[in-house]
Amino acid sequence: MKHEVAFILNGAEICVRIDDHLRLIDLLREVLGMTGTKEGCGEGECGACTVIVDGRAVNSCLYPALEIEGKNVLTIEGLRDAENRLSAIQMAFVDSGAIQCGFCTPGMIMSAKALLDANPDPTDDEIRDALLGNLCRCTGYVQIIEAVKQALQRLKGPS
Amino acid sequence: MIRFDYFKPNSLDEAFSLKRKYPDAKYVAGGTDVMVQIKNREIQPLALISLRNIPELSTIETNGKARIGAAVTIRDIIGHTELERTYPVLVDAAKRLGSTQIRNVATIGGNLSNCSPCADTATPLLIMEAKLRLRKLETTREIPIVDFFQGPGSSCLTTDEILSHIVLDPPSERAQAVFLKKGRVKMDLAVASVAVLLELDGDKCLKARLAAGSVAPVPLRLRRVEELLEGRRITPELISEAQRMAEESVSPITDIRSSQEYRRHIVGVYVKRGLEKLLGWSRV
Repeated sequence: MKHEVAFILNGAEICVRIDDHLRLIDLLREVLGMTGTKEGCGEGECGACTVIVDGRAVNSCLYPALEIEGKNVLTIEGLRDAENRLSAIQMAFVDSGAIQCGFCTPGMIMSAKALLDANPDPTDDEIRDALLGNLCRCTGYVQIIEAVKQALQRLKGPS
Repeated sequence: MIRFDYFKPNSLDEAFSLKRKYPDAKYVAGGTDVMVQIKNREIQPLALISLRNIPELSTIETNGKARIGAAVTIRDIIGHTELERTYPVLVDAAKRLGSTQIRNVATIGGNLSNCSPCADTATPLLIMEAKLRLRKLETTREIPIVDFFQGPGSSCLTTDEILSHIVLDPPSERAQAVFLKKGRVKMDLAVASVAVLLELDGDKCLKARLAAGSVAPVPLRLRRVEELLEGRRITPELISEAQRMAEESVSPITDIRSSQEYRRHIVGVYVKRGLEKLLGWSRV
């Protein structure tokens, strides 16, 4: 069967007719051509597919696309500003060397974004806990945690 | 490509009539287990019936008894201040379930209905002797949670039934409880877990409830250990006996996560640690 699904994607209203069995990641990558979100394990272990739905980080590989009806979805493509500049979190990842192959990066950044939006002053433990569901096989975790802390400082502004 | 139809009923009655129309359909809530089972072709349902959009299943009531809707997410249990105050051991266990992304969509009813021996919310609910409300078209029954689990992936739910609510009595003022979980890393499924509830009068044990996860075909009440402790003054010697008895009470298996010997050992150690913590002998 097919159903229509209407939702907000990176601030824009979207309405598409899709097959029932699609997952959110299929909708993003295959139907809408937004390939910034990656699929790693496809079973909720690696977090490469992380997007933000109504303020909460979720695995888009486990999220039935039809459940997105009426919801607000933010993907990595939605982080740049009107002048196409990277967001503070993205810049912090670049500047901290928190990217090697880059495959885990969109998911890492979306998890970090969900954390910092909900908790503007997280502890180190809270940062680690928020990124627990994101694996990096280049093992750049130290730089990744460092990048989130740097993003935190930038978002807070000069003290 | 794995194809299935997807239904989003807005009421339980609508869900029941869909299930009647499509008997092979599978109920799904957060999907963190079902979607993985479909991907791995462990199940091949022709249709899924979503329980995510049924208001009755998605609310938490806490006047007197607590009634937690089965489709309440783990995230919303963690964020519920009244549950945190009244049943902290449940919230502690919820915090240890999976990753942030999983907790944001996984539901308490799904965690139980999936009937994994390692379900993190099962052991705290076992020691608090939660009741489960099972609904079908025209009837409702309420059963003790201990009767729900029948084996890995298998519950006492009949095909036309849905777990609708988890019901908890107000806790006794004396009751204190703790949840301990061993995973290789924090987000892992448990190698073993233990939940302990004690009601103490000084060091005399008035009531003991213990449960262990990942060490038997079902999340397991450790009844012999409970009987050993109740009515006795708790001494280091009694705790050692409880530890040994806990090890004897479980029947773990060896799999990719752990060996049966290690699981057995951990259960004993965690029973000891849990008791010592509740007695104020250690801080663990």
